[in-house]
Formats: sequence, C-alpha cells, structure tokens
Amino acid sequence: MNVNVVISSDYSIISVEGRVDTTNANEFEKAVMEVVASGINRIILDCSGLNYISSSGLRVFLIVQKKMMASKGELRLCSLQPGIQEIFDISGFTSIFSIYPDKDLALK
Amino acid sequence: MKKTTLSRHIIRNVLLFCIALFLVTFSVYYYFTRNTIRETTRENAIFLANNTVNRIEQVLTPAEKIPEIVAKMLESAFLSKDSLIPFLKSMLSINKNVYGSIIAYEPDYFPEQGMYFAPYVCRQGDTIHSVVLGDKNYEYFYMDWYQIPKMTNAPYWSEPYFDEGGGNVLMTTYSVPFYTYKDGKRTFSGIVTVDISLEWLTEIMSQVKILNTGYAFLLSRNGVIITHPNKDYVMNQTIFTIAKENNQPAMRETGRNMIQGKSNFESAGFRSKWKAGKLWINYAALPSSHWSIGVIYPDDEMFASLHKINIILLILILVGLSMLSFVIYKIVNKLTSPLKHFAASARLIAAGNFNVHLPEIKTEDEMKELHNSFSFMQKELGDYIVTLKDTTTAKEKIESELRIAKEIQMSMIPHIFPPFPDLPQIDVFAVLKSAKEVGGDLYDFFVIDGNKFCFAIGDVSGKGVPASLFMAVTRTLVRSISDKESSPSVIVGTLNKSISLNNESSMFVTFFLGVLDLSNGELKYTNAGHNPPVIIKKNKEAVMFDKTKFIPVGLFEDFDYGQSSIQLEPGDKIFLYTDGVSEAENSESELFGDGTIMDIIGRNVTAPPRELIHKMEEGISAHVNGFAQSDDITMMTIVYNG
Repeated sequence: MNVNVVISSDYSIISVEGRVDTTNANEFEKAVMEVVASGINRIILDCSGLNYISSSGLRVFLIVQKKMMASKGELRLCSLQPGIQEIFDISGFTSIFSIYPDKDLALK
Repeated sequence: MKKTTLSRHIIRNVLLFCIALFLVTFSVYYYFTRNTIRETTRENAIFLANNTVNRIEQVLTPAEKIPEIVAKMLESAFLSKDSLIPFLKSMLSINKNVYGSIIAYEPDYFPEQGMYFAPYVCRQGDTIHSVVLGDKNYEYFYMDWYQIPKMTNAPYWSEPYFDEGGGNVLMTTYSVPFYTYKDGKRTFSGIVTVDISLEWLTEIMSQVKILNTGYAFLLSRNGVIITHPNKDYVMNQTIFTIAKENNQPAMRETGRNMIQGKSNFESAGFRSKWKAGKLWINYAALPSSHWSIGVIYPDDEMFASLHKINIILLILILVGLSMLSFVIYKIVNKLTSPLKHFAASARLIAAGNFNVHLPEIKTEDEMKELHNSFSFMQKELGDYIVTLKDTTTAKEKIESELRIAKEIQMSMIPHIFPPFPDLPQIDVFAVLKSAKEVGGDLYDFFVIDGNKFCFAIGDVSGKGVPASLFMAVTRTLVRSISDKESSPSVIVGTLNKSISLNNESSMFVTFFLGVLDLSNGELKYTNAGHNPPVIIKKNKEAVMFDKTKFIPVGLFEDFDYGQSSIQLEPGDKIFLYTDGVSEAENSESELFGDGTIMDIIGRNVTAPPRELIHKMEEGISAHVNGFAQSDDITMMTIVYNG
C-alpha cells in the first residue's frame, strides 16, 4: 500500500495505491487522519491505484466521511476500479459517498 | 570417528618437526665427520708411508756409501790386490747391516790371476769368511748384479732374493761399478757389491699400524712383494698377480704407478680376497732402491668409531624425544584440562541446567577469556529462558482465553441442525469458520410468534477480538429487538440506532435480516450493505437478490432502512454468505468470486441445505488449495417446504 498526499487550497488529493486490508488499515487510517487533523476539509480520495479494500479499509473511508460531515467539509472519491465499485455497490456505500468517474470531474 | 586428543596432535607435530630437524642436522654432521675421518686417515696413511720411507732410507743410504767409497778407493789405486780381502773383512766387521761384500774384476784384469778374480767375504754365524770366487762354474760376469751396473754405468739395487747359502734370509745386493786408469784412460774395471739383509726391513714394515688391521707392504721395482703381513705373498707374488687373482683392475693400475716410482696422496680403493671389505691405499716410493711402500687400511674400520657414535646419538635422541613427548603431554594436558570441564558444563547447560559450576581458571589467559564467555553465556541463557518462560506463559494464557472466547462466541449462534424438527415448513443449515480464534461474522435464526421465521447474517468490519465483541453486541441486540418487532426494517433500524450511538471506533456490520411468514411463504427482508443472497426458485435459474441501497449498520444513527418482500414457493431455497466466501483467495491472490458461487449452486439446485453448503466448502477448499484463510467464512441455506 502506498499513500500519497497533495495538499492544496482547493481540494487536497490523497492517492491510495495497492491493497488496503486488515494488516495495513491502521497505517492507512493514520496517514489519512493526519491530513484531516490539519484542518483540511475538502478532500479527494483518488482510488485509481486501489485494487483491493477490506471492510477495515472501508471503515477508514467512513471515518473520513463522518469527519467531513461534522466539519461541513466534503469528501469525494474518484476513479474507483470495477472491483472496488462493486464492493461499494454491495455494501450500499454508494449512497453515502460522492463518487466521481475521474479526478478532473471530482475537481470541478 | 577416531577421537584425537589435542596433546596427541601437538606431540605428533612437534615430534615430526624434531625428527626432521634431527635428520637434517645428523646428515650434515655425518657428511662432514665422515669426510674429516677419511681425510685424517688418509693423512695418517701418507705420513706413515713417508715416515717408513725415511726409516728405510736411513738404513739403505749409509749402506750405499760403503761400495761407493770402496769403488773410489779402487779407482785411485789406494788398495792393493792383496789387501782386498782384509779390507773387506774389516769393513764387514764394522757394518753390521752388511751381510757380505764382493769386489769382482773384469776378466783378465790381473793377468797373474787368470780369467776370474772376485774376492768375497761374508758372515757365517759370528765369523767372517773369505773366498775368491769365479771359475768356469761361476762366471760372475753374466750375473745381473754385474751385468746391469756395467751396462748402465750406474749403481744398481738388485731384486731382493733369499740367500740360500747364507741362512735363508731375505737379501738384496747393491752393486757399484768401479773404474781404473789404463794407459791414462778411465776404463770400467769391475763391480763392488754389498749384500744387505732385509730382516730389519720386515721389522720396520711390521711396525706400521693404521686403524685396527691396517698394514704396510713393500714392492720391488718389478712389483714383487718384498714384505707383507701375508707371508705367502712375500717373494712369491707380484702386485699384478694378486690383482689378476682378485680381478681388481684398480689394484693393477696402482701397482703400475707404484713401480714407476710415483707417490699418491689421493687414496685409491679396491677389494682383495685376502682381506674382506673395501680397502684404501696410499703409497710412496723409495728414491734409492726404486721400491715402493703401500699403506693399506680397511674402509669399514675407518668409520667404525663414527658408527658407534651414531648409535649412541640415536639412542640419546630416542630417549630425548620420548621425554619431550612426555613433557608436552603433561603441559598440554595441564593447559587443556579445563576444556574437558567446559565441554561437560556446556552439555549440562544445553540440557537446561544453567547453574552448572564452571571450572575455576586462575591464569589470566585465553582460558580465562573462555571462562568469562562461558559464564556470560550461562547468565544470558538463564535470563533468556526466564523471559521466554514468562512470555510463553502469557501467550498460553491469551491463547487459552481466546479458545474460551471462541467457545462462548460459537455458543451464541445456533449450531444444532436440524434446529426445528417440529417445523416441517423449513429446514436450515449454516456454518461459520473464523480465520482467527474469534471472528466478526455472525448468523442467527429463530421463530417469532410461532409462525414467523427470522434469520440474519452479518459481517463486522475488521477481525479478531474487537470484531467478535461487536458481533456479540449485534447478535444480542437483534434477539432483544425481535422480541417486540417482526418487521425487518424496524428491527434493522433499531439495531442501527443502538449501535451507532457511542460508536467511537466507527466499526460497522453488513447485515441481512429476513422474516419468512411460514403460513404463506412471504419473505420480507432488509439488506444493510451485505452481499446479496442467492434465491434458488424451483425450476428456475438461481439469481442474486438486487443490490441494496442501504448502508451497513452502525454508521449513521438516523439512517432510514426500508424493506423488500418476495413470495417463496415450496421448495425455494435461499443461500446467504459473507464476503469470506466470495473473496476467498488462493496463493495467486485470485478471488473465489460470485461467478463460482453461482456455478456451484447451478450444479446443485436440488441439493438439500447441508449438502449445498458442503459442496460450496469443497469448492472453496479446492480454490484456495491450502492457502491460509484470511477472512471469516459464513454460509447459511434455508429451504421453504411450504
């Protein structure tokens, strides 16, 4: 798993690559929460490189979403691979996340 | 394997070195000593030869003077014819070495004497006899002693001979020619001789001793043996006949050199039948008589003393090496004896006795270092084992607690099949296999109000103890809510509300809950973010439920859950599962997948619940092929019999 953060005055972009599962969900949570804790409340989670996510990983997404909702910020997901999209569909998460086909659309 | 001790090893190496050193030293010593002995013996032999030559010359040279003086006297006509015999007699009486003497004149020198005139005196016992020799039977002019000096105009030593008339003693004769003036002209007039006994010669020669049995011999100018310890040779053999007899060309060569009057200072070697072993010879010539003295010494005697010293040396060295071995053995044993104790201690430590006593080392050397290392290892091992024991105990305690937790968790879900023997309308079978001791999956089913069959399946986010606690909370809440409610959406909504409150950890449960009315087959259900179950309708292709719009339970307390409803016909089945089934991975990270689930169901549409689940387990097992299970696996099948 690789997490890359680009801070911006507009939407800060967090790119996550590889697998997010039980073994590294905590690491992922820590990396993401650092950004959130710094007061940034407009975030795009770029999932173009994400090819597996377990329920532990989904929990991190949910935590960020809750934080954004609490701080009246916004979390946008973009570029979900079909397998990830499937998981979001099955779990009903599609209804609580803003999901965009690609980064450009998410930035608009 | 043969055990080699350190001392044996060291002794072997030191001994090999010492022996090599000794061999080199000994070879050098032997070589030089041998050469020195050879040189000394050779010098001794040359000295003896020369000394003997001098001693013989001391006798022969004065003997030569006598006839030479007589010759001068005759030449100067100092002696009259009649005074010759008295003169010779008095000469003999004062020269003990002279055995006889003759003055032999040329034929017809004194006309009044006739053809022959040779006055002769000789010893016979203690008296001196005289006679005038020469007649038809003894024509002395033709004798060697007369002829040779006459021809050569030079004095002549005859070959030695046995004087048969004079007591059979070895004699030699010295002949000197004399001249007188006839008509003013110096003319050869005769020969003066002296006969010398050679008994003293034998005496002188026999005094020559070299080594134990070394000896000297004397050769005449023709190579005849004059003196020799072997009496048989004397006057009977020449050096050449002996050389031929013994087949020794070297001896013949030596003989030639000797009779040519040469001296040799380099030893020549040969063998002889007369004397065993190799013999060496040095020789020197007698200048007057052209005889030659040979000094012979045996090769083996020359080095006898050296061989004796060698044997003593060898014995000394053997004794020395034995003592050296013994001393090395003692030293090495003393030095290494702690090692044996260390080895024993190491075995005891390996067997777990960390308090074993180490050998005491009083020296401040490598052995002390070893002792300290050992002691350190002993302490560290002891500490490590104590820590390990503590850790193991703690781990075992946790494992034991986890086992108990698993039992408790398993006891919370129904696990007796068939569960409702008195309800023929339904049959259920379910399995739950946690990836760890405890897991976050759950299933449950129970009957509400006697004719409503409620069933649920769920998957808590994450794994292990936190998930299992969350699962227990969920299961307990479902049961308690269902006591009062029978609508799936209400049950799930209430559950969500309860869980979402104070959910600091943001954990959630995907949850499917259905309520089947056993009287008419109507199934009402709510799917909160769970994998869609499969409905297997009789005589139709199995299909998955529609994907849900509802999010998992535990996220937002005021989320509004709805419900759906379908009509089941007798024989219809529902297969529910968690993502541990669809996402079961093999070593290539390939997922089991919904497609495979549908395939297996398609091949087993008529199978009863238990068999269908077994087929699914076989499929999963074949797919993962021994790869470790990473997520909890839960499956439940319900058949509605109407």
